[in-house]
Amino acid sequence: MGKFMKLVQNENMKIYRRIRTWIMLGFIIGLPILISVGKLLTSDSNTTSSWGMMHIESVFSFILIIIFTVVIASETVAGEFTWGTIKLLLIRPWSRSAILLSKYISTMLFALFLTVIAFAVTYLINFALFGSSQAGEILGGFGGLSNGEFMLKFYLFQFISLIIIVTFGFMMSSAFRSSGLAIGLSISLLFAGSIVTGILASSDKKWVEYVLFMHLDLTTYINNPKGSISNHPMSLGFSLAVLAGYFILFNAISWTVFKKRDVAA
Amino acid sequence: MSQAPVVRLQNVTKVIGKRTIIDRVSFEVQPGEVFGFLGPNGSGKTTTIRMIVGLMGMTAGDIHVGNHSVRTEFPLAIEQVGAIVENPEMYKFLTGYQNLLHYARMNPSITKERIQEVVKLVGLEGRIHDKVKKYSLGMRQRLGVAQAVMHRPKLLVLDEPTNGLDPAGIRELRDYLRRLAQDEGTAVLVSSHLLSEMELMCDRVAILQKGQIIDIRSIRGQEGDVAATSEEVLFDVDHPDAALGILEGQGTGKIVDGTLSLSLDRAGIAAVNRRLVEAGINVYGIRVKIKSLEDQFLEMTGSDKIG
Ligand SMILES: Nc1ncnc2c1ncn2[C@@H]1O[C@H](COP(=O)(O)OP(=O)(O)OP(=O)(O)O)[C@@H](O)[C@H]1O
Ligand SMILES: [Mg+2]
Repeated sequence: MGKFMKLVQNENMKIYRRIRTWIMLGFIIGLPILISVGKLLTSDSNTTSSWGMMHIESVFSFILIIIFTVVIASETVAGEFTWGTIKLLLIRPWSRSAILLSKYISTMLFALFLTVIAFAVTYLINFALFGSSQAGEILGGFGGLSNGEFMLKFYLFQFISLIIIVTFGFMMSSAFRSSGLAIGLSISLLFAGSIVTGILASSDKKWVEYVLFMHLDLTTYINNPKGSISNHPMSLGFSLAVLAGYFILFNAISWTVFKKRDVAA
Repeated sequence: MSQAPVVRLQNVTKVIGKRTIIDRVSFEVQPGEVFGFLGPNGSGKTTTIRMIVGLMGMTAGDIHVGNHSVRTEFPLAIEQVGAIVENPEMYKFLTGYQNLLHYARMNPSITKERIQEVVKLVGLEGRIHDKVKKYSLGMRQRLGVAQAVMHRPKLLVLDEPTNGLDPAGIRELRDYLRRLAQDEGTAVLVSSHLLSEMELMCDRVAILQKGQIIDIRSIRGQEGDVAATSEEVLFDVDHPDAALGILEGQGTGKIVDGTLSLSLDRAGIAAVNRRLVEAGINVYGIRVKIKSLEDQFLEMTGSDKIG
């Protein structure tokens, strides 16, 4: 196990020794600060809700975190093929599965790192600028959640969606060995999600409930146990089960392809 | 050659699509032996090497490193192998040292001291903390050698290792490989299409063409042997065509650039000369051409066709 952690350490080195990674981190830290300062300068700080600001900024931050992690996930496998370094990486006393797993883990650690930073920054900047005294808006709405509980659930549910989209990118990267294609397809999954959901929602066929896009925004369950699609009331448990199915499928494909394929890079 | 071979290929075959790229290749490399893998472009050298190091699967046959099959016990087999496959591609955004550290972490036997040792060995001390993107091809090749020998492998596989090295670098590498084989008993497998290189470096050479081994021969200590078996004698005569007709049955003869060319030993030269003179052909000169391995190689593989 200790030996396996060395593989993760290697993957981490390949992520954090690149300037690009630190620019990404700069965006995650800088964007909320910019939005909050802008808000402070343009409106009355007494009427601004810290929790409300944190929510809005977190929505933006998560889009960025997903995009950045998809870039990392796509390059961690496909990059080795384009650089040709895969040849030297695979001729070590480790199975291909172990190497792929170390890449997967380091990618998810990167996502977790950005997520923790985003939470901390959006929380700290807004409470520093707008304070916590005023009543503000209630995010938890009908659920009876406190604002803090709402935000924690929001981050947790967003992170679950992130895992699925990033796992999809990882699969594309392993299957096509092209980071551009993997990044493009994963990000279109992110943005096409709501459009496709809108189209499918009007259908009354039962199978649409098993389509991945219908489950990528779990945050709708925070205030509404049946979800936001009135035509197809579902539950959080059902969505999680469907996502788990896709999670297993994507990973099975990544691993099978990565283990079997000849390396001719 | 009674020792157990370090690497053993048995009827290794690779079919991609409908093409048989490697066709029943078998050979062994002994401890302390430098084995050359010679073939024109596209003959399958790199593909064979990829199969030895497990980057490609094989359609049939098996490869053992020591007692372990690359097919079924990959980690145990590969542990004893160091390799460069084609160009030594490294992480350009890392320093040379970080690249070595990366591979060292994957092999618990490598200490920090050992890394320093190989850095010195390949002569990169001065530049090891520079980013690899600032390295020249030759420097990357040296870094490639460093990562390949770091864990003291029993088998070292180098695919065209002299590519990009300057003459001094080539010489250094050659001497180093010979020393590694002699002193540490490492089996070295090098591929190349540079024959002159192979003659200087290898104990034995396998000649590969269109995925098949067409010959395996010893080189070291038998230089006389190579020359003696392949003397080519050129006769400068006034009517080469007529001469060829007269000599029907005197072995294989052909006309090259207006001179008659025959494969003969000493006695044969005298006999042929006598017959030509008796037949009234003027002989202006007789020249013995010793074929280098290079000539033999080109003859065997054909000089102008790829694959
Ligand atoms: N991934 C692949 N798919 C199909 N054919 C391939 C593949 N890789 C190599 N080949 C073919 O296999 C043959 C052998 O190629 P290989 O790269 O092993 O040759 P080589 O001896 O290393 O040549 P060179 O001296 O140019 O390096 C070539 O005809 C090549 O076209
Ligand atoms: Mg080659």
